[in-house]
Amino acid sequence: MSTSQTINKTWLISQEALENWLDSLAKARSLIAPRDVDGVLLYRPVENSNQIKWGFTRPVLSAKEVFFPSTERLLKIEKTNQHVTLLETLPEGQTVIFGLRPCDARGLQALDALFIKHTPTDPYYARRRENTAIIGLACKEMGPTCFCTSVGGAPDDSDGMDVMLYETEDSYLVRAMTEKGLALIPQTEWPLTEEVPAPAKMDAPLYSLPQQNSWPAHFNANYWEHVSERCLSCRVCAYVCPTCRCFVIRDESLTAPGQFERIRCWDSCNGANYRRIAGGHRPRSEKGERLRNRFYCKFYYYAEQYDLGEETSACTGCGRCVDSCPVNIDITEVLTELGRLA
Amino acid sequence: MSDNPMKPYLGRLAEVKDLGTEIKLFRVEMLNGGNEAFCNCKPGQFAFVSAFGLGEAPFGIANTPEHGPYIDFAINRLGSVTTGLHELGEGDIVGVRGPLGNWFPMDDFKGKNLVILGGGIGGAPLRPVIQHVLDHRGDYGKLTILWAARHPSLLVFTDEYEDWRKSPDTGLHLTVDASDPTWDRNVGLITDLLKKVNPSPENAVSITCGPPIMIHYVTRLLGEMGFAPQNNYVTLEARMHCGLGKCGRCNLGEKLICVDGPVFNMEEVGHLLETFL
Repeated sequence: MSTSQTINKTWLISQEALENWLDSLAKARSLIAPRDVDGVLLYRPVENSNQIKWGFTRPVLSAKEVFFPSTERLLKIEKTNQHVTLLETLPEGQTVIFGLRPCDARGLQALDALFIKHTPTDPYYARRRENTAIIGLACKEMGPTCFCTSVGGAPDDSDGMDVMLYETEDSYLVRAMTEKGLALIPQTEWPLTEEVPAPAKMDAPLYSLPQQNSWPAHFNANYWEHVSERCLSCRVCAYVCPTCRCFVIRDESLTAPGQFERIRCWDSCNGANYRRIAGGHRPRSEKGERLRNRFYCKFYYYAEQYDLGEETSACTGCGRCVDSCPVNIDITEVLTELGRLA
Repeated sequence: MSDNPMKPYLGRLAEVKDLGTEIKLFRVEMLNGGNEAFCNCKPGQFAFVSAFGLGEAPFGIANTPEHGPYIDFAINRLGSVTTGLHELGEGDIVGVRGPLGNWFPMDDFKGKNLVILGGGIGGAPLRPVIQHVLDHRGDYGKLTILWAARHPSLLVFTDEYEDWRKSPDTGLHLTVDASDPTWDRNVGLITDLLKKVNPSPENAVSITCGPPIMIHYVTRLLGEMGFAPQNNYVTLEARMHCGLGKCGRCNLGEKLICVDGPVFNMEEVGHLLETFL
């Protein structure tokens, strides 16, 4: 994933050649790409390139769900009287994901820090990462709620991609970034080019984030109670976020008697009962405390707890939470207002 | 831990017995390699226990490996997993995932006086500390145990009190919030008992486990009595789901109870404890 792995080779291909390539990739492995699912754009399996939605800004959900599904089976449990068998259900099969936006690749790097680098490694996530090649697609311009440039990202950032595509006027520049990516490319069929991608338009507003060392001082600010007054604790911000990763583990019955599955499901620290413990004690029972925790996790705790390298926050600036919040709690506004408190 | 940190070891219930109202001791005989994983576990560590089909929940390990080869858990029936566990009997299979978390620095405590404060089922993770001290009695100074519960029927490990009392230079002080006619000892909060026993902070460390509100008031009182924050140890809990520093449920500020704890001293978490209440 580091730039030292970069392979300095670029090809110029047509839309037709791209679609042919994706069709051939889809034959040998599962292909995941932006797809219109009942009017909602999601990264989902496609059978061929005809099912891909072209000309999108970004899918409604991040690529988090490809590697860390909203619900996944960890174990199958078979129970008879005094005998239990546990079957591990690690994901199998090779996957290629096409059309990943730079903000989502960055989200994966934050999840890598937690699920892979922070030991013990989570075998389910790690296996999916290992078995998946990533073909990124640079954004030509930033969407109306995008703010990746405010958190250290860029619409054409190739970090974390195995192959990076840049749209030109009528074709694509394809750049191999890793050996894993190079292995996917039909090198003999495609013409190499010296052309370099045009820089992406970065005309979105730049928000100033609070200084990293100012977060502890904001902890007891009345601001949190104020900003959370309208919060519905609906948790959508966590579900659309590429880096929110809270989860629950529980067992569910399967149809056959004595058969169960242990599953892991997304959760959110904004949920009212998130911290409830046996006996009914419920820390962070106030909305303000919970909303504060989400912001602190994203911008302060995460980098303290996990190795984010040079990054100080787990926010990718994708703007999905801004789009989805039903009561318009805007992360950029919160950050701006906190900056003013300092 | 096994190769897959989400996959529990299997264990057979060797003994299940009542410890108090709705509280049972589960003595688990580890199967399929679990013994090796747990034979070096330390006082203060915890593990997830599975009631297969219902789920798993974290519990403090309630004995030292020297008191094995079984692993003890004291479990209060409160939710679905603990209810499922309470329905099991001897010979039934449970899952055990661990050992997890840090532990009490028993070596650093050598030569010191220990004040142990347990509230209700919070006494469970303190039992291995008591066992360790009694097994290595010469290594430690005076041992003062303050043991509390809401009601006499909720006091745990009552059949071991005699052994604790008989150990040299050891004091056991009991109190309950509400008494019944059989009760002839203290009635009142553990903080009242602590004031009464009034242990010296000189060359002493305290170890507290109990409900959050008890931890809050007990550690505050210990501070007032002259115990320095770095000498006041607590073991904390949250309804964690992974125990591996990933699920996000047990953070205390930037600390994660499951991997940075569950054992902390008040110098580390005193300023964060408010968010735990």
